[in-house]
Amino acid sequence: MTSTLPAVTTPKVPAQRQAVPTPRSTGRTEPPRRLRSSRPDLILCGVLLVAILVVQGWNIADYPTLSDDEGTYLAQAWAVQEGRGLAHYTYWYDHPPLGWIQLALLTWIPAAFSPDSMTVGTMRAAMLVISAISSVLVYVIGRRLSLPRWAAGLGMVLFGLSPLSVVLQREIFLDNLAVMWTLLAFALAASPSRHLWHHFGAGIAAATAVLTKETMLFVLPAVLITMWRHSHRDTRKFALTGAITACALIGLSYPLFALLKGELMPGSGHVSLWDGIKYQMTRPGSGFILDAGSGSHGVLQSWLYYDRVLIVGGLAGGLLLLVTWRWSVTARALAGPSFAVVILALVAMRPSGYLPAMYVIQALPFLALVLAGGTASVAHAVLRRWRSEAEHRYLTGGRYALAAVLAIAAGAYVVPRWYEGDRTAVTADANAPYQAASKWLASEVEDPEDTRVLVDDALWLDLVHAGYKPGLGVIWFYKADLDPAVTKTMPHGWKDLDYVVASPTVRRDAVDLPNVKAAIEHSKPVAVFGSGEDRVEIRQIQTAAGGVR
Amino acid sequence: MGIWGDLLLTSVFIAVVSLALFWMAAFTLWWQMHAWRTPEVLASTRFSRPDGGEHLSFSLLLPARHEQAVLDHTIQRLLESTHTDFEIIVIVGHDDPETTEVAEKAAARDPRVRVVVDTHEKKNKPKAMNTALPHCRGDVVGVFDAEDQVHPELLAHVDHAFRTTGADVVQGGVQLINFHSSWYSLRNCLEYFFWFRSRLHLHAQKGFIPLGGNTVFVRTDVLREADGWDPDCLAEDCDLGVRLSSVGKKVVVAYDSDMVTKEETPGSLVSLLKQRTRWNQGFLQVYRKKDWKQLPTFGQRLLARYTLMTPFMQAFTGLIIPLNIAIAVFLDVSVSVAFITFLPAVTALVTFVFEVVGLHDFGKQYGLRVRFVHYLKLVVGGPFYQVLLAGAAVRAVWREQRGQNDWELTSHVGAHLSDATATRDLREDVPA
Repeated sequence: MTSTLPAVTTPKVPAQRQAVPTPRSTGRTEPPRRLRSSRPDLILCGVLLVAILVVQGWNIADYPTLSDDEGTYLAQAWAVQEGRGLAHYTYWYDHPPLGWIQLALLTWIPAAFSPDSMTVGTMRAAMLVISAISSVLVYVIGRRLSLPRWAAGLGMVLFGLSPLSVVLQREIFLDNLAVMWTLLAFALAASPSRHLWHHFGAGIAAATAVLTKETMLFVLPAVLITMWRHSHRDTRKFALTGAITACALIGLSYPLFALLKGELMPGSGHVSLWDGIKYQMTRPGSGFILDAGSGSHGVLQSWLYYDRVLIVGGLAGGLLLLVTWRWSVTARALAGPSFAVVILALVAMRPSGYLPAMYVIQALPFLALVLAGGTASVAHAVLRRWRSEAEHRYLTGGRYALAAVLAIAAGAYVVPRWYEGDRTAVTADANAPYQAASKWLASEVEDPEDTRVLVDDALWLDLVHAGYKPGLGVIWFYKADLDPAVTKTMPHGWKDLDYVVASPTVRRDAVDLPNVKAAIEHSKPVAVFGSGEDRVEIRQIQTAAGGVR
Repeated sequence: MGIWGDLLLTSVFIAVVSLALFWMAAFTLWWQMHAWRTPEVLASTRFSRPDGGEHLSFSLLLPARHEQAVLDHTIQRLLESTHTDFEIIVIVGHDDPETTEVAEKAAARDPRVRVVVDTHEKKNKPKAMNTALPHCRGDVVGVFDAEDQVHPELLAHVDHAFRTTGADVVQGGVQLINFHSSWYSLRNCLEYFFWFRSRLHLHAQKGFIPLGGNTVFVRTDVLREADGWDPDCLAEDCDLGVRLSSVGKKVVVAYDSDMVTKEETPGSLVSLLKQRTRWNQGFLQVYRKKDWKQLPTFGQRLLARYTLMTPFMQAFTGLIIPLNIAIAVFLDVSVSVAFITFLPAVTALVTFVFEVVGLHDFGKQYGLRVRFVHYLKLVVGGPFYQVLLAGAAVRAVWREQRGQNDWELTSHVGAHLSDATATRDLREDVPA
């Protein structure tokens, strides 16, 4: 038998060196070193997880409305599964492909059993896996950042059950996958064992997050702060450089990929990473977020429509933690999440930037953690601050009464609103028009194989399964104007098409797409599902002679 | 088939080689970083503070050959030790009057110093130490080299370590210090740093350890039971460790920056090459002796196999990485295969980065000023050092094949001694 020396327990001669690292004392119950062997944590986390999965999973296919982006990513995941490359149209470096490669892996088994299940509505179920992992990670991070058990649970509830979260986390967005990886990076960065390879792993997870959705770059400094705070002085330089190196090297694989394909720099006749980045950086801005009437303001309003608590409360919690930095242990422990909230808020406030609706997804876990931390901080202030052994019984009672009043007031505000929002989520059927349109096109069109349809991405896979030719038979509507590989098969423009499925997205974007616009103008609805703004029309192209093609 | 078949075959071949190299480098890196895995592991690699009790007696072996320039200084320094019960046995050759004279003078000055004369016709270090072994009176035999700078409190710490851990062997740290001397000494110092600071502790923990050449302490009875050192092995130190750990002896490693034995790098590139050739050849011999096959677990045997073969794999890696990348860039292989060819380069890069951080830590630990130019030398010198290692590995295989297993000694110039009068004795390497 051989072994190393037992850990030094007495201080060594150069007294400035700590023999055994002392855990940062927080003055409250330390989180258990291994959460997975702590029964109360397991039970609490497990119960909350079931609740979140039920609320998020129930009615997942029918609400919210199928989004164009979900269709895009899932279709590209399908292309990966089918071995058609990174996308069934030319991959043009719009986003790093790792996100839908993961989607492809995630949906591989169900798709292998039942190929027809590879549609947006059905495959939303796969997002439950992501939601489950992310919510558990929020709890783990909460505990690792020294939140008491109830506060970590509160963070998990805020993250998983806020109506805003329920709506957005159900959708097949790359952001949800990226959030999972970012949370993993946080959890590893705050690993209580401070293991070098945990920090290395945090770097890898962070890079994976960025390669899943590039906007995660903004959150990386917060991961670094967390790691700095949780590493030990003696091993910190190895841990941090390890993490940064891992992150950078994995991140560089994307440009390397472009380089190996000969698509790093722009050139004639091929797409390039450079052009992809340029496109993303120069997307037309949607205005200042606080400027009523701007696009960004509209996006903000749509978030607030689903839930004010998480957004306003989270920002307030972040502010509170920043202000109480000097004397609140919780505020310092939550430096990482607070910093993430601050960065994301500042980025959203850019006066002329582009603010997509899913931007808020990456902020949700941090808003939840910060709000839970703020609540814990308030609870601590009410119940424990300036409390001495000799405190009068009445005063102590008063503290608890005040805490109860605050808790009841918060509950009275939040619960009815969330109940309303989540009830809609588990009962509403927003996708009936889509499903009916899909059914109609599958059964009423005689010869799908030779039929050309412009369709919004969300319906594309349905039609592929119905027998339409992927790519040039069933066509993502905007490709009819933007992809040279598609337009060259349409020498007569709209006249080369048979149908256009005018969903709300198609009608909205047709304004800037001449071919799509012409197709709508030269067609008549043969079937309409739903009514008003949300209706889905199946329009058959009418040639000049008055007949169909 | 035809060209497509060839390309496929090439692709599969490259992918397999790249993945193998990747995992090899990843494991080496993992082990190299052992000590810094967690703060607790780092803390456990140090000596614990002695409790003041001294119960063991030491016999310190000091083999010296043509080392009259540094020997006296080393003896003086050893005599300054705070431990109360030790003897120094200087082993000199019958054909080396200059060194003998220095040793005899020292023995005349202090009764704790004794001189043993080695009369073997062909001389080497293990033979010298075996000659001295019957003369050892202490409970523990310690080995030092004639040019070592030993910390006065080391023996007290080792005494404590033996008593508190029940060890059969205690290996202290050895550190090359003169990183500023040349580009290769910089890398050489860092190799020692990673080896003694980190990797050896992993070996101790796993139960398979190639011991170092000095600052190693073995209980006298254990050493006699093992018949001392193998006189025919070029890496007798490694061999002893492998034999002792293979039969389950307990080995403890401790590294303290202020308790290490300080040494110097070989004085020239050629002597470094020779030294490395000898070690590699020695490793090869230890591998072929198969003592490590007695290790109880498969994992330990695998670690043994891997560790003893490392120099040769290293040589191979150094050649393959550039070749691989060239193939990826110039041959028309698929993007995924090209990606895989970059994996070994990625681990090499991570290793580089950790080396830079290691150099920073080395400077901090020893209070040495590491300048930007040193970091630059470290990075730029990397590939060249790799070539040197590869050369030594190839040379070792060559010599072993031709049955050349004589000692190519390394000369020492005293660059680590602050003593300005240290003679810069640039004698030739001595094939004994």
